[in-house]
Order: sequence, then C-alpha cells, then structure tokens
Amino acid sequence: MATGFEGIAINAWLVWILPFAGAAIIAAVARSGHRIRDYTAVGFALASAVSAATLLPLALEGTEVHSQVNWISSFGLKAGVLADPLAIVMTNLVAWISFLIMVYSTGYMHGDRDLTRYWFFMLFFIGSMQLIVMSDNLLMVFFGWEGVGLASYALIGFWYYDRKKDYVGREGHVAGGIPMWTSPTHAGMKAFLMTRAGDTMMLAGMFLIFMHAGTFGFKELLEDPSWAFAMSQQNLLVPAAVLLFGGAIGKSAQFPLNEWLLEAMTGPTAVSALIHAATMVKAGVFLVARIGPLFFALGTIGAFSTEQFFEVVAWVGAITAFLLATQALVNPEIKKVLAYSTGSQIGYMMMAFGIAGLSLNFVEGYTAGFFHMMSHMMFKASLFMGAGAILHTVGSRFMTDMGGLKKPMRKTYIFMLLASLSLAGAPLFTSGFWSKDAIFAAVLDSGYAYSWPLFIVAVVVAVMTAFYTFRMVGMAFFGNKSKHIEEMEQKGHHVHEAGRSMLVPYAILAVASIAIGVVGFVFEAQIESLFAAYLAESFGIGEEEGGVHIAILPEGDRTFFGLHPIAAAASVGAFAVGGALGYLFYIARKANPQIISRSIMTRAIWKFLYNRWYLNTALYWGGVILPLAVYRFVWRYFESTIIDGMNPALQYSMTYMSRIVKGGQTGITQTYLFVFAVGIMIIMMLLLL
Amino acid sequence: MAETYFLLAATFIPLLLAPIAYGIGRKLGVNIATWFTFGALAVSTGLLAVPAIAIYNGSQQVYSESYIWGQFGNFGLRLDGLSLPFALIIYILCTVLALYSKPYMVHKVSEDLPEHKAGHGSGATGQRDESGSHDNHNGSSSQLTVLETDQRVKNQMALYFSLYLAFSMGMLGTVLSTNLIEFYVFFELMLVPSFFLVAFYGYGARRRIALMFFFWTHVGAVVLLLGLLAMGFFAGGFDFDTIKANAANIPAQWLPLIVFALVLGLGVKLAAFLLHIWLPYAHAEAPTPVSALLSPAMIGIGAYGILRLWLELLTGSYEQYSIYISMWGLSTMVYGGAMALMQDDIKKVLAYSSISQMGYILFGLGSESILGITGGTLMYVTHGLGKAILFMMAGSIILQTGTRSMAKLGGLAGKMPYTAVLAMIGALTIIGIPPTSGFMGEWILFSGVLQTAVADMDPLRTTMFALGILATVLSSAYILWMFKRIFFGKIPEELAHVKDSNRYITATMGVLAAMTLIIGVYPDLFLAPINDYIGGMFEGHEGVLPVPVHAEGAENRMAVEPVITTGVLAEAAH
Repeated sequence: MATGFEGIAINAWLVWILPFAGAAIIAAVARSGHRIRDYTAVGFALASAVSAATLLPLALEGTEVHSQVNWISSFGLKAGVLADPLAIVMTNLVAWISFLIMVYSTGYMHGDRDLTRYWFFMLFFIGSMQLIVMSDNLLMVFFGWEGVGLASYALIGFWYYDRKKDYVGREGHVAGGIPMWTSPTHAGMKAFLMTRAGDTMMLAGMFLIFMHAGTFGFKELLEDPSWAFAMSQQNLLVPAAVLLFGGAIGKSAQFPLNEWLLEAMTGPTAVSALIHAATMVKAGVFLVARIGPLFFALGTIGAFSTEQFFEVVAWVGAITAFLLATQALVNPEIKKVLAYSTGSQIGYMMMAFGIAGLSLNFVEGYTAGFFHMMSHMMFKASLFMGAGAILHTVGSRFMTDMGGLKKPMRKTYIFMLLASLSLAGAPLFTSGFWSKDAIFAAVLDSGYAYSWPLFIVAVVVAVMTAFYTFRMVGMAFFGNKSKHIEEMEQKGHHVHEAGRSMLVPYAILAVASIAIGVVGFVFEAQIESLFAAYLAESFGIGEEEGGVHIAILPEGDRTFFGLHPIAAAASVGAFAVGGALGYLFYIARKANPQIISRSIMTRAIWKFLYNRWYLNTALYWGGVILPLAVYRFVWRYFESTIIDGMNPALQYSMTYMSRIVKGGQTGITQTYLFVFAVGIMIIMMLLLL
Repeated sequence: MAETYFLLAATFIPLLLAPIAYGIGRKLGVNIATWFTFGALAVSTGLLAVPAIAIYNGSQQVYSESYIWGQFGNFGLRLDGLSLPFALIIYILCTVLALYSKPYMVHKVSEDLPEHKAGHGSGATGQRDESGSHDNHNGSSSQLTVLETDQRVKNQMALYFSLYLAFSMGMLGTVLSTNLIEFYVFFELMLVPSFFLVAFYGYGARRRIALMFFFWTHVGAVVLLLGLLAMGFFAGGFDFDTIKANAANIPAQWLPLIVFALVLGLGVKLAAFLLHIWLPYAHAEAPTPVSALLSPAMIGIGAYGILRLWLELLTGSYEQYSIYISMWGLSTMVYGGAMALMQDDIKKVLAYSSISQMGYILFGLGSESILGITGGTLMYVTHGLGKAILFMMAGSIILQTGTRSMAKLGGLAGKMPYTAVLAMIGALTIIGIPPTSGFMGEWILFSGVLQTAVADMDPLRTTMFALGILATVLSSAYILWMFKRIFFGKIPEELAHVKDSNRYITATMGVLAAMTLIIGVYPDLFLAPINDYIGGMFEGHEGVLPVPVHAEGAENRMAVEPVITTGVLAEAAH
C-alpha cells in the first residue's frame, strides 16, 4: 500500500484535477481561437484518461494508493484520494468513455455559439465524477456529488433560451392537469431540486456517521469500527446507511426520485450520453459499490444486522427497473426511451448490489452489479451517441418522424443494432447478456427469502427490455420513410451518415460491448477474481486465512460457460419472447401496434404508462402546486395583511392618540384652570388620605 | 506588549475621513472621492488584518485595546475568534462595495435629479423609462444646466460617501466593542447613517421606509438597552469581562427577562420571524450597494450580539432556552424561503432570502453543539459574501435594464455573461453547494443540529433537523427560480440591446466570488479561529456537545479485534 503525495499517487490526484484545470482555463484559451479551444478541452479529457490508465497496473496487482493531505484542520479532517481496485476500474471506465463523448461532441456540437460554456461544464462534469470516484472520504465525495448535480443542471438547461424545438415531451400533452412537455431550463431546475432532495438525505446519513466516528474517511471508518458498534446500539446504523442510499436514489434516478431523468433529455445528446453512461446516474451506483462492502463487512464483524439496508437497495432497484421498463414500452421519443431504459438498467445494478449483501456470496452479487454497470456504460453511451447522430440529421426526437433510416445511415444502423442487442441481452455474444445473466444467477443463488419474487421481476423486466429495444430499432431504421423525412427531402435536405468524429466514438463502444460479450465468460471470471481479491484484501470479505473470516458460499454447478442453468434459460427466454414481439410489430411489421387502441382496457393501460403512472402529476401537485398555494395564502393573509399591517396600524394609532390629546388643547383658559383645580384637589385628597 | 492602535485606527479612520471625503467629493469629483473612500477602507481593513493574521497564526488568542471610559468602565476594542469573522467580512464588503457604488450611485443620483424627472416623467418609483438610455438625461438642457447637474451629482455623491464611511465605522465598532454601553452606542451609530442612506438615496417611498426602518430597529435597540442595563447593574459594571465574572450575581428571576430582552432586541435586527416587518422594505428600497451592506453585514450583527452578549456572557442560561431559539430559527428559515418564492421584485426575493438565511444562523445558534454554533457563525461569513454578490447582481440588472421586476426580465445570460456567471457563484453560496463557502457553513451547522438531536434522542429536535435540511431545498428553489426568470428563457424585445455592466461592477463581484470559492475549498481561514474560540467558550459545559474526534492511532484492523471498544464517542452518544 503506497501512501503520501509522491510517485503514482500524483497520477491519482491528477485524474480529477486535470479536468477541473481544463475547465478553469478553457475560457482564456477560447480567446485564441475556436479550434484550439476544442482541442484543449478534448486534450484535458484525454490527459485525465491517460493518468487514469497509469493506475491500471495497480488494480491488476491488487494494491492500492491512499494519499492524504491536511484539509479542515479544525475538525481533523483530511482530503485524500483512494485508488483501490474498485476506484481504478471505475475511473478508467469514466475517463475513457467521457473522452469518447468529448470527441463526439466536437462533431455534434460543431458551430454552437456557446461552445466555451459547453466545454467548461463538460470538463467540470467529468472532474466532479472523477472526484467522486477517487475520494477517500464522504465529504469530498459530496463535493463531487454536488459538482455533477451542478454540471447537469447547467447542461440540461444548456439551451437556456427555451426554444420549442429543445423541449421534451409532446406539445400539449397534459396528465392530470400537469403539462408533460418541458423546457430545458425547467428540466434543469427539476433535476437539480430532485437530486437535491436526495442529497439532503445523504447529508443526514453522513452527519450520523461523522458524529459517531469523527471522520468521513472510508479507510478510517473501516480501521476502527467502534463507531458502528455505538451506532448499532442506538439502532442508527441501518438508518444511516439507508439515508446515504437516499443520495444514490436521487442521483441515479431511482424510485421515487426518478422523474427528473426523463426530462433531462432537453440537453444536447452528448450530454445525455455523459449523464447516462459515464457520470451523473452512475455516481449513485458507485456510491453503493463504495459503501455496500463497508456496511456488509461491519455487519458481519459486529454480528449486527445490516440486512434491511441491502433489502431496501434491492427492492428499490427492482421497483425502479419494473416501473421504468413499462414506461419505455410506449414512449415515442428516442432519447426518452433510452432514458427510461437507463433508469431501469440501474435498477438492475441496485438489485445486484442489494442481493450481494443479502446472500452469503457477497462477491458474486457485487461483481454482477459492477459488471452490468460496465456493460451498460458502454452500450448506453453508444446508443445515445447513435441517437444523437439520428437527431442531428433528422431534426426530430420523435421516432414516428424517423423510419427507414437503415439505408441512408447504414453504419449508424449497424453500430446501434450491436449496442441494442447488448441492451436487449442477445445470448452469448453481447456483454449485456453476460452481465444480466450474472445478476439473475446472483439473485437465484442468494438464498434470500424473497429471491423468487425478485427474480420474477428481473425476468419480466428483461422481456420488456428486449421488446422496447427492438421497438426502438424498428421504428427508427425499418419500415417506410416517415412524412417528416419526406417533407425534409422535398425541401432538399437529405438524410446522411454522421461525420467521422461522431461515428467513430460510438462505433468503438458498440464493438467493445460485443467484443466483451464474445469473451464474456472469461471476462466475467476476470472481474470476479479482481473483486474477490479486492474485497478480501480491503474488507476481509471471503478472506481465507487469518483474521476474521467472512465466509462466502461456493457457486453452484456451472458446467456450460459458467452459466447458471435457470438464470441462463430465463435470460434467453426473455430475449426470445420480448425480441420476437418487438420484431413482429416493428421490424417485420407483420402486426400493427395500433391494435391496442381497439380495446378500452389496453388503451387505458397505454395511457397509464404514457402518463408515467401519474407519478409526475403527483409530484407536481404535492411538491409544487400545493406548497405554492399554501405559501400564497400565507403571503396574502398573513405577510401582506398582518405583518405589513403593523406599520399603518402603528401610524393610525399614533394619529388617533394625538387626536385625543389634541382634544384637550382647547386654548380656553377657563378649562385649563378648571382641570388644574380638579387636579390639585385630587392630589390634596390623596395626601390627606 | 508594546501599545498598538490597530483596532482604534481601523475603527475611527473611516469616521475621521468622512468629512474629508465630503470635501473631496464636492471639489474634486466622483472618481477621486470613490478611490479615496476605497483607500480609506482598504487601509482600515489592512490595519484590521494585522492582528487578525496574528490570531490566525495562533501566536495570539485575543488581541485587545482598552481605554478608560469614566463611569462605564473601559472603552475597549477586541479582536478574537468570534469578532474576527464578523469584523473582516464587514470591512471587506465595505471596501469592495465602495468601488461598486460609483457607477451605480452616479446613475441613481442623476436619475433622481429634478431635471431628469421632469424630462422623463418617471415618477418616484425611480425606475427609468425603457426608452431612455443612461446619459441623455440632460440632452435638451442648456450648457449651464449640464454644469449645475454635474455639481449636484458631485454633492450628492460626496454626501453619500461620507455617510457610507460613517456607516462602516458603526458596524465595525459594534463587533469589536468590549463594553455593553459601547456596544449599544455603536449599535445605534450604525443605524443613523443607514437611515440617511435609505432616506436620501432609496427608491419608492424612501423617506417613509427609512423612517419605518429606523423606528423598528430603534425599538429593538431600546429593548436591548433595557436588557443591557439590567445586566450591567446586577453584575456591577458594563465591561464584558466584569459581567462574565459576575454573571452568577444576576438574580434567577431576572435572568429570563434579561435573556428575553436581549434576544428580542437583537431579533429585530436579525429580522427573525414576526420581527421582520421592516426588512423587506428597507432592503428592497435602499440603494443597491447599501442593500448589499444592510442585508448581509448589518443584520447579521444581531447574530453576533446573541453570540457575544448571551451565549458568551450568560452561558449558564443558554441550554435552558436554546430549543426555542432553534424553533424560531426554523420558522424564520421556512417562512423567509416561502415568502421569497412569492416575489416578483428581485430585491424583495433577496430580502426574504436574507430573512431565511438569518433563520439558518439562529437554527445553528440554538443547536447546543459546538459544531452547530460554529456553523452558524460561518454562515454569517458565507451569507455575507453570497448575498452581497446577489445584491450586486440585482444592481447590475437595474443599471442595465432599468427594471427589477422579474416579469419584465428574461434570457439575460447571453447579454450579461459576467454578471450571470458571478451571480451563479453567489447563488450557489446561498444554496450551499460546494465548492462555495455556503456548503461549509451549512454542513457544519446541520451536522451540529443532528448531533444534539441524536445524542439527546430528542424527537422534537430530530424533526426540526429534518425540516431544516429540507428547507435547504426550498432555498434552492427560490434562488434557481429567480435565476431562471432573470437569466433564462426568451429575452423580451425591449432588452435585446442590453450590455453587460462595466468593470467597477463585474470586478467587484468577482473579488467576492473568488473569496467564497477560496473559503469553500479551504475553510480553515475562518473556521479555525471560530471553532477554537467557540470551543473555548463552552469549555466545561457538558450540555454543549463537543466536535466529534476520530480516535487516531487505533490501528487495530477491524478483522483483528471484534471487541466493542467503547470510545469517547460512544460515551458522548449516551
């Protein structure tokens, strides 16, 4: 274990400092020309990625770097980076995918007049995310945490002039009195406030830990677990963990704070790719990956239960996965389908991390969750960038305005298809298949009392995932040209293939997700051994010799490529059923999706899903309209009447008093003398008495 | 130690130079007067910084100067961990805002001149017609009038700067004083120039509002005076040291009354819930640089008073009433935030936001933990910087667009990029987002509140914590919504040719923005002295929870020794 601020530790610091440095100078660089500015931005992202890559050998060796400097000396808090295998793998994923998205941005955003601001926030975004990944304590994590929140606010509302074409949602769509189409700045604000609500929970959890441990550091928390004993005696350990998870719920758009993610599509598509693949929503997943083993190890060592925490994580994940998958089935906007799918897939990851803590084989669930995050990062970034390429040329976000793009955008079609297959979980050659299957297997192996309901939810979601993925591909690329495209072509615009700077990034990621899929079995085993070593080394989970042994069960019988038979069958089955339906309706176009409008029942279901289960409606009525009505009432009848009324009241009472007193000032001598005499008499009587 | 006069000089240089500033302003013009005022304040700030640096280095805990003051005891000036943040922020804001005043006040004063009013008919609201531009107000007048106008502007500005200097002195004197009477005198001294500043240079019904401002804060001050006198008589002297030593002599039946008088009197200054009558008007209608001083610097002195006069001098009675202070703070926080959402006037949003922020401070002061009180004090610093930036933004908007009604604004981010960016930093400071100092204040404050709640297993305090931390979402809401209405969305046609403000405005905002970022990343600059001092203040008081410490050197890896090692913290938690 290396410590101190030298050698390789500097690289660990540079990973997150470089993007911030780039952001700091980008405005100055912009003066010397646009081209230089763009190269500088991409260059800093690359530099950060390179310094992340230099850490990789450490992860493979299973060692770690922990470097600290003094920070808030009043409370004895230190700032530091902790480059352990988890952080190193994560930071590389983030850095390289972000770099590809930055390259893509040079093409996608070409010619935008506010590009300097764009680069600033993109670099700021990447830096903040890397800060979350590399930090060795919760307080610094929170710096990054709010940094990604701020960057997403600024980038979702990037086109702040709120033109109609930047809105999301179908214009005029109202659900339960709430408009469902949203301007960019509104969406940015919504994202900020909703994640902020989650952040308050996270802060509360952090404070609980801090007041018992006196530190925020992950290492320190693990070294001296006396705080955990004190907390578990007060029944505070699980609440603290759940509160921390509250932050992840907000950032990763899990139920019930999922609504912001769907509106976050107002930003440039490259931003969506960054939010969904590399940064923002993955921050929550990473936080769970960070604190999950900590609480698991503490619980096992201290023989107190942290199970409820993992149960919460698993079920929140399951609910979100189901909820958002159903909504994705009916949405007509390509980016929104992808957004729903992100929330849903993150639900899978949460489910896996939750199940890890509920089973005796922590490593299996943990690896499954992380593996799914890796594959999701790749295929989702690729899909978003591909969708961006389509948007760029078609000029509409609605899939009903696309159609028949297979020919004119052949390359985009191929790469998006590959990434889509990964999302749908096409058996054996896609990374999505292997990682999803690992989650299924982990759930089945867990021995958790309710593992079957969880498994059934997971399989149902997989069916829906396959269906909506094929629906998306079918609607965009197959069938006839839509009216919109025909009109465009009449005007002389032609649908064309994306430029190289855009095409190459998503091609790389799509191919990578297939390449990992082809060697999926080996790759999964690799990650598993990496994490097994990490968890054993850092947390004593599954450690064989010496110390306290936190046992892990051996895996079940895995003869065929290490696949769990039931899990694999379910996974293949889900792909087959969902994929077949999607193929039938949208690719082969043998059946007309309009059939749902024939029956009242199906129409009602469609409407319910299309209105997002009315969650957004409930959120606005309860969280915006009602409080505002109350405030307005108070404003009108308390602040403006009573409080403001004090001034005139005072003034009039004074005037009134003066009028009374003035009444005595008659100027008639007789009256004065009379009053004077009466006074003298009263005083004399008082004295005599 | 050799006799030094840093504090005396720092306090009175502005006052002594005030008449000179007036003369310079009349004779030599606005530019020189501005830089003269700036120079006087900068030198004073420098003088203040000398002992401040000594305290920060740890070479000195307290730096004080004391002079015999007849029957009242000693006239002392004292810089310690508690007054340091207040004093520095007050003078830094005063210095920076002196420069900011120049373009803003010249504009304001010329706008108020009778010729201008006659020419454009923009009534007492002080809002410029949309059609007019800055400098054609004397377009139709003769050459003579131009000269006359020019001289009148000079005169007005000269008066402004001399009042401004006196105002600065009053605020600094209050936080440095070491004697109850002295405290009261300075407390009232800062009121007088601010009254004139509002009455002469304000907007709307300014004389009326200035009177209202004067009346309410003066009533508060009189209630405070009653408390101070009672304290002094029972303790047998007005010096803080005497009172602290003899606090036990105050009869138990009088103590609640005294505390009540102190908190009520200072609560008016703080504009706490129900006592905030004057604030929305005074802040909204004062000239913007003065709003930027009134709001963050002046009203926070109420919090300083509570800390110094009650928490420090009458420590014994603190725990008894702290919960009510917290409740009051919470209601102020929520109320101010809720009302801020209802406003259309930018400056009113900021005024209600100040009320809300004062609620945060009170919330922290009532927390019964070192962390909470430290956080509350740091909140003064961060609110001072953040709110000043936002008021400066409001000024910049008024200057460039001539309106402060958000219904008439929109989409200005592209037209006024510097103002927008710097104001965003100020907004983040108020919301409490890292890396601004706002986050540092807030997390320390709220963790202190939670610490007490959990340690006492108090459901009331726990509920209050939950509501309090949710109120931060409310703060984010009104700030972001204000931002959206000013800077985002479609730009109204009449604002299509708006330009950004000049360097006097953007550079001064930039200085404060840089400070909030620096403190946000490296809070020790202010935190270390505050925390040390407040820790010392409550030494030996078991009811006030200490800062949690991490048991350093506990090298046993958890795997080795799974025995319950009940540390200091586990003890403290019971």
